[in-house]
Amino acid sequence: MTARFTKFGFDEKERFMLFLIAPAAIVLACFEIIPILIGMNASFREWSLVNPQRTWVGPKQYIAVFTDPVFLKMVLPNTFVLTIVSVGVSLALGLALASLLNRPFFGRAVVRTIILLPLTIAPVITATMMRWSFNDQFGVITIFLSYLGLPDVAWLSDRWPSFALIIITDIWIWTPWFTIILLAAMQGLPPEPFEAARIDAATPWCIFRRVTLPMLRPVIIVCVLIRAIDAFRTFDQVWILTGGGPARSTEVFSVYAYVLAFVDLDIGRAAAAAGIGALIMLFVGVGLYRLVNRSMEVS
Amino acid sequence: MISFALHTLRRSIFAISIAAIFVVFVGPIAILGVTSIRPASGVFYIWRGTNFTLNNFVEVLHQSQVVQAMWNSFVLSTLATILSLSITIGSGYMLSRFGGWIQRSWFATIYIFRTVPYISWVLPLYLVNTRLGIYDTYVGLLLPHIAVHVCFFSWLMKGFFDGINPSMEYAALIDGCTRWGAFCRVALPAAMPGIAALAILCWLSTWNEFLFALILSGKRTPLITSTMAQFVTETGTEWNLMSATAVLAMMPALLVTIFGQKYVIRGLRM
Repeated sequence: MTARFTKFGFDEKERFMLFLIAPAAIVLACFEIIPILIGMNASFREWSLVNPQRTWVGPKQYIAVFTDPVFLKMVLPNTFVLTIVSVGVSLALGLALASLLNRPFFGRAVVRTIILLPLTIAPVITATMMRWSFNDQFGVITIFLSYLGLPDVAWLSDRWPSFALIIITDIWIWTPWFTIILLAAMQGLPPEPFEAARIDAATPWCIFRRVTLPMLRPVIIVCVLIRAIDAFRTFDQVWILTGGGPARSTEVFSVYAYVLAFVDLDIGRAAAAAGIGALIMLFVGVGLYRLVNRSMEVS
Repeated sequence: MISFALHTLRRSIFAISIAAIFVVFVGPIAILGVTSIRPASGVFYIWRGTNFTLNNFVEVLHQSQVVQAMWNSFVLSTLATILSLSITIGSGYMLSRFGGWIQRSWFATIYIFRTVPYISWVLPLYLVNTRLGIYDTYVGLLLPHIAVHVCFFSWLMKGFFDGINPSMEYAALIDGCTRWGAFCRVALPAAMPGIAALAILCWLSTWNEFLFALILSGKRTPLITSTMAQFVTETGTEWNLMSATAVLAMMPALLVTIFGQKYVIRGLRM
């Protein structure tokens, strides 16, 4: 393994590294990077599917998106609320479930199997299922709630109930993911700190708060990072549950761009909206990544 | 006495929580299953009614679009799994075993393109596909699906190779193996269990993928998720048929969860 350094060539080890990533890099370039560049190009043009003139109009489309009241009043708040609430609640529930399951009991294997179901079933099916369970007239949950004497909620005809349903579905899908990863992390923790805490007569809550949580911190941060990136681009559940309605009030960013492109047939503006989303995500993603790195160094 | 009461209380709270987990996570799926074996007139009986039938499944399987969609999804998921794993193994191995500027810039590339929302590149991809004439064909669906997996699975692969001790590969190199030899003959066999886990995850995520299917597939190559979505958003009222389709579409997920959960958990933990 002679490290031969030439100014412009690659040495043997570097050639090996490049060969290893070459197929992945080629696919990534052709089907992700080039389309993104085409999209960026399209976002500066007047380009609709019915009238494909493709005139260069500069940043007009970006201005149009940023002055669109639907984008400012519905799409942006919805996207961020969905991301924050869904990630926050599923993290909290996931921690609770993981602590609950982190002990031997009869039937634990069965519980671990059933909490895998939401992760393996397609979000499209989950959303269909939720739509049926929350159906205004015949849904099981609607009937159950009225049996309890609660007032009827028309789940899919008002903004906040529909949006709550989207969030509930998202939490249903992702709580098990947090549970499984955190449970695995909890089982990998060393037993000594817990024994020490128990000898010092710490309460279970205190042990959880002062021993478990700090030790899980790196895992939690990585989970939140991965989930936040995915939650931001949620599309499936929203599209199946509400289609962005009623009156576009539950549109999130992906649905907004999709509607612009395939309902309004305005490719230019859709590309601008998609570009704005990608930029926001780039900042959030890089910011979170630096946070992760910093916390990894500390712990 | 008090401690006994406390103990019982704690035990019952625990049992109630476990029961709640069952109800919350199995409930909706069970309702879907029950609805799928109801006749159209009995869909609206929730508690009552012993009227069951398998006709919904028969009817759904007679619709050529559904059968074709399931077959297409099956072929696409299988091909996408094989191809994307074969290209991400090398990339994950490189990320895990080497350092330097090439490794750092490839990692940064993967991370950045993982954060890009799907809609931002599926939208122009639709234009590319129509221009190239591969819109609504296997090739036009397969290549983007592989591209989606590159970032995510390279990342998972890296984590997986990080967990394998590299000393065997060093030993092989010292004994005169080439780098390729060390990779193919030593690292790959050791990585096989992890690759199996990732293959299951990859297959399921392609089967479940919706946005790509919705935008890049049409009447010629329907996929199961986009077909279901069409049922829900367009017809919208035949809940018995819809449930039957959904039950058929979630079969692979159920089978994997029951028989391959070891692999799923291992894949998720990486």
